[in-house]
Amino acid sequence: MTATAQTASLQPGEPWRRRLVRGLLYGSKIDRGAKARARVGLAIIVFAAVYSIIAARLVMFALVPDSRIAHHGGAGDAIATARPDILDRRGEVLATDVRVPSLYGEPRRIIDVDEAVELLTADLPDLDATELRERLSSKRGFVWLKRDITGERQREIYRQGLPGIGFLSENKRAYPNGAEVSHLIGHVNIDNQGIAGIEKWLDGHGLAALHMAGLATDRLQTPVQLAVDLRVQHALRDELVAARAKFKALAAAGIVLDVRTGEVVAMVSEPDYDPNNPRQALDPTRINRLTTGVYEMGSTFKTFTIAMALDSGKVTLKSSFDARMPLRFGKFDIHDFHAQHRVLTIPEIFTYSSNIGAARAALAVGVDAHKAFLKKIGQLDRLRTELPESAEPIVPKRWGELNTITIAFGHGLSVAPLQAAMGVAALMNDGIMIPPTFLKRTEAEARALGKRVVKPETSEMMRYLMRLNVEKGTAEKAEVKGYYIGGKTGTADKVINGRYSKTKVLTDFIAVLPADQPRYLLLVMLDDPQPLPETHGFSTSGWNVVPLGGAVIARIAPLLGIEPRMDLPTADHLILASAKESR
Amino acid sequence: MTLRILNLVVIGALVLAAAYVYRIKFDSTVQAERLAKIRSELLHERDSIAALRAEWGELDNPARIEPLAKRYLRLKPIAPAQFDSLDQLPDRPPQFIKPDSQDPIGVIIENLAEPGTVTGSVSAPATTPAENASEAGAQSPAANPEMPSR
Repeated sequence: MTATAQTASLQPGEPWRRRLVRGLLYGSKIDRGAKARARVGLAIIVFAAVYSIIAARLVMFALVPDSRIAHHGGAGDAIATARPDILDRRGEVLATDVRVPSLYGEPRRIIDVDEAVELLTADLPDLDATELRERLSSKRGFVWLKRDITGERQREIYRQGLPGIGFLSENKRAYPNGAEVSHLIGHVNIDNQGIAGIEKWLDGHGLAALHMAGLATDRLQTPVQLAVDLRVQHALRDELVAARAKFKALAAAGIVLDVRTGEVVAMVSEPDYDPNNPRQALDPTRINRLTTGVYEMGSTFKTFTIAMALDSGKVTLKSSFDARMPLRFGKFDIHDFHAQHRVLTIPEIFTYSSNIGAARAALAVGVDAHKAFLKKIGQLDRLRTELPESAEPIVPKRWGELNTITIAFGHGLSVAPLQAAMGVAALMNDGIMIPPTFLKRTEAEARALGKRVVKPETSEMMRYLMRLNVEKGTAEKAEVKGYYIGGKTGTADKVINGRYSKTKVLTDFIAVLPADQPRYLLLVMLDDPQPLPETHGFSTSGWNVVPLGGAVIARIAPLLGIEPRMDLPTADHLILASAKESR
Repeated sequence: MTLRILNLVVIGALVLAAAYVYRIKFDSTVQAERLAKIRSELLHERDSIAALRAEWGELDNPARIEPLAKRYLRLKPIAPAQFDSLDQLPDRPPQFIKPDSQDPIGVIIENLAEPGTVTGSVSAPATTPAENASEAGAQSPAANPEMPSR
């Protein structure tokens, strides 16, 4: 190029037209040599720049890890999201994710729909042929054909080599214990989203957000540990199933609560369902009666009435109330089931389960104080736990003297059984109420949440009364030698078509063990138990749930690590005497 | 001349460097592929662990164990009376024999016992198929490895 430029400048005999063009292009007085050198320099710079850019890009490509290799392992991987495992308090698996293949189709890539339908229905007979044809003929890019197929089926379909048919491995929730812990942990839908129980609570606590962001696909999430003990849960369920069959009851339910921490160690509501088959959960008879149902608890509510009377200071253990006559209020007569027709002291009211006495004790404290006390002990507000299912108590709109009279012995106010268990646990736990939880909790954490509802002295007196009731009262049949059980029974007439039924009852029993230093609280209830020949035609709680409670305690106490103590003195010596000493 | 040598040296170095870089790059690709493979294996292992844990949970389920235990074991739930504390334990009876001397009563019993006697802790000698093996069996029935364990 330089050479041609030089030769061009040294050419005198140029035709005039060319000289003119050159003059216009370059000017006539410029040193062509210098200009050529400048151009060469420019070309060098441009080429150098281009090559350095190429070199820099090469280095960049070499440094960034190969994206094709990195994603090699993740092909055909799940879209359904991973969930953390759920463990019981001893680390047993209650719920975990397993990988299962799912069959999908890409209708746009299918060549022969008829052939695909024929071969697929041959392998998977439960697939509906018309629906399958419809799905594969659509214009969509992706359709699910069948979720959760076995590995064997997967291999067979794979061998047919159908174009546009593929597999994705998905996370599927597995509940190895079946119906044992159904109401507690709940279940998930086909897309692995929690729709009941603890599973739903997990979604509400950050997991749903992770799913949205598409981050929760690996199983590296920390497991969630619940307060439930699988062994205790099984023992409780086993006894409840047997009792429900024996007494032909509509339902049986039970709960074991750690008095000091508020942990729910076991919770069973029979009939329950298998979370691996969540369709059963839709059956309304399979609801969780302990949190979603509200019931009039019957005489167990006298525990609250007597505790309130003692805590108010207006009544002592030596006070007595007239139970000679039925209590007449307007056109209503309040009778006693175990009528004594005499003046009863507070311990006698408790052990004979006197309606008249409890009503009079409540009236002695007053309507407003009664309402305030029940509010303080959590019986009038909806109890919220980790479980999304909860029910509002049914509280009378206008609360007069008659309401106080009936609520004193457990009619006219419907609460969730878990709520009643929490209240009684507070009365046992030195008067400190701890909200129940389904997650593992330490005693220190529980203490921080605790709220004082009655005086410690009242709690001592209540523990004495509970024990006394087992020693000589309505709960005698619950006695298990060595465990020092205390308890209160309850029988509530069921409301049928707006009237109290004479024959249908709901029986319940709240027990505490050991009564001198309470550690666990047990609540069992039976819905509509039938009288049997061996119960002498009775269906009250003393004949069904009380022996059931004793049987449950005999089974679960060794599991809960409660040491049996033999030859303990009676309640008035052990509990009341120690109370006097400490004061 | 020196410039030409320098040029040759530089060209040689360039070729070497290129070869070296190529090798490093190749190695790293191999490593990356191995890593990806191990990662996917890890994922697979974790999935199988989860599946096995789920299966174990199913097998270990108390609702499954209980009927099996009831059928095959003669164990019963612990009654409260079966518990006792360590300080309730009676003292160890005094030892009459010196630790290094032989137990005289034990020797008498040993001499009394006939070789073939069957008791609760000593089971019958195995009825061996071959007669020549019975020699060893008669002398020390407990040492016979073919003994059916009781």
